[in-house]
Amino acid sequence: MSRSIAYTSSPLLASRTPVWRSKFIVAAIALGFVGLATRAAYIQVIANDFFQKQGEVRFARTLELPSNRGRILDRNGLILASSVPAPSIWAIPEDVERDAGQLQQLAKLLEMPLAELNKKLEDEDKTFVWLKRQVDLPVAQEIMALGLKGIYQRKEYKRQYPEGEAVAHVVGFTNVEDKGQEGIELAFNKDLVGRNGSRRVIKNRLGQVVEDIGEQIAPVDGPDLQLSVDSKVQFFAYQKLRDAVLINKAKAGSVVVLDTVTGEVLALANYPSYSPMKRQNLSGAQLRNRALTDTFEPGSVMKPFTIGLALETGRVTPQTLIDTGPGKYTLTGATISDSHPNGVLTVEGVIQKSSNIGTTKIAMQMPAREMWELFSSAGFGQKPQISFPGAVSGKLRPYKTWRPIEQATMSYGYGLSASLFQMAHSYTVFSNDGKIIPVTMLKNSAPAVGVQVLSARTAGQVRKMLQLAAGPGGTGQKAQTIGYSVGGKSGTAYKQVGKGYGSTGNRKYRGWFVGMAPIENPRIIIGVMIDEPSAGQYYGGAVAAPVFSEVAQQTLRMMGVQPDMAVKPQIVSKAEEESL
Amino acid sequence: MTRLNLVLLLAVLVSSLYLVNVQYESRRLFTDLDKARSVARKLEADNESLQVEKRAQATPLRVETLAKEQLQMRTVTPAITHYVSYSAPAAVASATPGRAP
Repeated sequence: MSRSIAYTSSPLLASRTPVWRSKFIVAAIALGFVGLATRAAYIQVIANDFFQKQGEVRFARTLELPSNRGRILDRNGLILASSVPAPSIWAIPEDVERDAGQLQQLAKLLEMPLAELNKKLEDEDKTFVWLKRQVDLPVAQEIMALGLKGIYQRKEYKRQYPEGEAVAHVVGFTNVEDKGQEGIELAFNKDLVGRNGSRRVIKNRLGQVVEDIGEQIAPVDGPDLQLSVDSKVQFFAYQKLRDAVLINKAKAGSVVVLDTVTGEVLALANYPSYSPMKRQNLSGAQLRNRALTDTFEPGSVMKPFTIGLALETGRVTPQTLIDTGPGKYTLTGATISDSHPNGVLTVEGVIQKSSNIGTTKIAMQMPAREMWELFSSAGFGQKPQISFPGAVSGKLRPYKTWRPIEQATMSYGYGLSASLFQMAHSYTVFSNDGKIIPVTMLKNSAPAVGVQVLSARTAGQVRKMLQLAAGPGGTGQKAQTIGYSVGGKSGTAYKQVGKGYGSTGNRKYRGWFVGMAPIENPRIIIGVMIDEPSAGQYYGGAVAAPVFSEVAQQTLRMMGVQPDMAVKPQIVSKAEEESL
Repeated sequence: MTRLNLVLLLAVLVSSLYLVNVQYESRRLFTDLDKARSVARKLEADNESLQVEKRAQATPLRVETLAKEQLQMRTVTPAITHYVSYSAPAAVASATPGRAP
């Protein structure tokens, strides 16, 4: 037993551990804890902001909430322009795998040749390349379904114009950045744009949003804009104008329809037009909003103003006789002529037959200042107060510079210029009992408040003359409609060719018609202009008046205006030729 | 005293586990909500573009083109008018049928 080994008592175990060692360990552990505590304090208290921020950088994201551009509606709430999502496709060339089959598919979806796509992806130094802007949503989804590496999409909006070319000039269009470039899109760009919102979120490793942090700013969509234009009236106007331009082999044409009660523009169409969604190869001729930007000498359309002034100042009455003689009249060395001799006419007859000589003789009784005042208060030489880009003022020279012959030519509409829109607007003087009313492109149901230019009595007398001019024996007979009485004045002018008005056979014309209906209590004013008709007929009464007739009839019927005439068929004989 | 502490420790443990669970659940629900919201936005956008498309399909210009090209129709003008007169059968049976002025 004595030899037995005492396993429990080993000499090794018996050696005493020095006290300092255990103390040292305890101290080291304590130091470790102190270090941890310090670090914790540093992270949680002292440098908290920094770490908080670093953390956020790694999982918090600011998401942009894109806003939508406001829609453009017609007066009945039909869509004229609206934004729809159309993602843009972009790529990081370096990351794109060169798999011929997949690239071929992608090229097909993007509707571009493979060579072009390869060219775009060629430069590997670039980190961003647009492949195609604004593709249709289904196409974009198909592209994403291909699951190509290095191909991404960005959410964008594209403007859609369902009415197409019929309202192209009114609505205009936006560029790829959604900024207005033409028409209402440009004029009301500021009102239409929305305000983008944003939200701050936390995303998990799968890219899913797991929490909102901070404040969320909701996007504000641009407000809808309701125009005064009636898409049906607009379409009819465009259709009839287009047909007339084609039948008369004309270069171009315009039509304006105004509501005389509210001053709203119901239609404003030009031909040739364009489709706002397919803007490749657009020509200036197509883009031009002729009704507002093209000015020309108003010609016979001015005569009612000259006569109106003479009636207003009591210099003549509708029945005063004017001798227009043999169709030629010499004034300070210049000859004024009528298209054919009219002999002795009443003042009414002067308008009806559109006699230059008759108008001149009446105008020469009046001072130039009075004429100038009336013309400019009717809006001639003034920029139309309409929120539309490109509207021009036309020309009306100050009366002090008028020579007698110029006063004479201005009395029948030469020597000054105006756009078709100005002419149509100026006729509100006659339709609204002597008041010129402001016009608007935006919907407005309240009656417009006008400025008195002529007395109601004179306006009524002129309306009667306009009715005669558009009736049997007048220059604008083809303006007659079925069921509604109409009145209006046609105009025809030589266009300048080179330095003069061209020689016979080489002449270019412009024909127009401005009128109103129903004549007793006008509801609409329509102006029609046909530029360079070349199919034989060129008088405003022959080329533009039929457009007036059809548009007036359709518009009044759609507006629910009661017919004021018995409906009876009438065959219009040959219209009177007017004086150029 | 120790028993109470143990109970409290257990309560803290259970509560913190529950907290983790609730947090997880809330994040999951939030993700679902967010997904639903984006679906709603997408549907709204779809609705908008479909409305535009519907309008584009029904514009007078398109109707006119279809009528002209597919149905060979013409624009009506008062110049082409057919008068249909009705006369009492006993009086004149073979009266004016229809004439086009």
